[in-house]
Amino acid sequence: MASRYDRAITVFSPDGHLFQVEYAQEAVKKGSTAVGIRGTNIVVLGVEKKSVAKLQDERTVRKICALDDHVCMAFAGLTADARVVINRARVECQSHKLTVEDPVTVEYITRFIATLKQKYTQSNGRRPFGISALIVGFDDDGIPRLYQTDPSGTYHAWKANAIGRSAKTVREFLEKNYTEDAIANDNEAIKLAIRALLEVVQSGGKNIELAIIRRNQPLKMFSAKEIELQVTAIEKEKEEAEKKKSKKTV
Amino acid sequence: MAATFFGEVVKAPCRAGTEDEEEEDEERTETPEDREVRRQLARKREVRLLRRQTKTSLEVSLLEKYPCSKFIIAVGNNAVAFLSSFVMNSGAWEEVGCAKLWNEWCRTTDTAHLSPAEAFCVFYHLKSNPSVFGSCPKKNVQVTVLTSRHVTDYRTSESPGSLRCPFLRALKTQTLKEPPCCPLLEQPNIVHDLPAAVLSYCQVWKLPAVLYLCYTDVMKLDLVTMEAFKPVLSSRSFKGLVKNIPQSTEILKKLVTAEEIQSNIYT
Repeated sequence: MASRYDRAITVFSPDGHLFQVEYAQEAVKKGSTAVGIRGTNIVVLGVEKKSVAKLQDERTVRKICALDDHVCMAFAGLTADARVVINRARVECQSHKLTVEDPVTVEYITRFIATLKQKYTQSNGRRPFGISALIVGFDDDGIPRLYQTDPSGTYHAWKANAIGRSAKTVREFLEKNYTEDAIANDNEAIKLAIRALLEVVQSGGKNIELAIIRRNQPLKMFSAKEIELQVTAIEKEKEEAEKKKSKKTV
Repeated sequence: MAATFFGEVVKAPCRAGTEDEEEEDEERTETPEDREVRRQLARKREVRLLRRQTKTSLEVSLLEKYPCSKFIIAVGNNAVAFLSSFVMNSGAWEEVGCAKLWNEWCRTTDTAHLSPAEAFCVFYHLKSNPSVFGSCPKKNVQVTVLTSRHVTDYRTSESPGSLRCPFLRALKTQTLKEPPCCPLLEQPNIVHDLPAAVLSYCQVWKLPAVLYLCYTDVMKLDLVTMEAFKPVLSSRSFKGLVKNIPQSTEILKKLVTAEEIQSNIYT
């Protein structure tokens, strides 16, 4: 039945599906995992780095992009679609700043991106954008924000979320482990993001990229060394927890 | 057709053209060249059993040369990668033959370079225990088939968002007594292609066989999908065949990394 209703995206199926939009969500699952965490004074974005070919310049394969000084986003899905959306969002951020003399709020730019995505689900001859995005940042009021958008053009605020391959597994991990203690301080929030990624990332710390924004500070990308340090600390904690468990059972 | 005065039946020319007329037309126009082309095409599409990677064919039936008690077949790149990392690296497997086939959908006729995605089959047997093999089954042989399918083919009354991918389902023949190591495939799901053919063959010939089908959301070589096959290692058909699990995981990772770098479409 699906094949009769997925040729033109403006066509609803009898049971109310927009199949192209649902297929676009499948395209998102082909991208590697990205996780976003909203802490008390920090927002964290972690992504699984794709392996780069030998001759490829690693710097040009980026999943985390700054939209403005105080907002950044991570995406999962079609690389080219992401590039187009990011460019439009960046232009909108600057245009907004010049027009109203205020930087965009995280919600504003998320709504802009979501509206753009929704337009492409309602035009003929166009297909939806095949990306989901996690948008993080701080507003002028100093409150941290995390939003997620998907190909259908919906957006929601989240405390923590994951997109891309194995997003479900990561989300379940976050549901179990996102507690007040876990985001008590900045370092704990960073560790939570890395732990969530380690659930699904194959080769450990060297395939993880991390970015944070602290209140009134610009985006900071973690170096490989810093990530490695965090991973080692996490593994130590795991070992100690296991030792305690085995002591208890004995 | 018309009857003449003398009672013989002759073909009467008719411009209206009846059905019979059309068929006869075709027969009449089929030239020896057409027949030759068709014969060549049929020869090209023949399934050939060859000795190892050479051009010499296996004249002796594989079945008689290598009687076996376990037959394991992997269909699809994830199942093949799983089998080659976990099972074939835990012992010395010797390649005894391969099946080459070609049809118009094949993108290449060069079958000299093996890769998990090529459309033909290679037969291996375990050097240390020649009764374990991938070949035509006889009585007293247990058949195991591993394959994968996209989760969108899985029909269920649960909402698709609640399915935890990838997951394993099994289908077995009546003669298999051992319970499979995962839930059975629920109705109305069906199995397609080669795995279905193998299982049907085994059911008809009363051979114990089990098919393990992994529903996944990533159809290319993917570590998570391949690891979903792990419960299969605890079944009787794989007993004694798998030794180095950590090493196998490393080999799996290498296989995946090699494939992953190819595409830049998705990030």
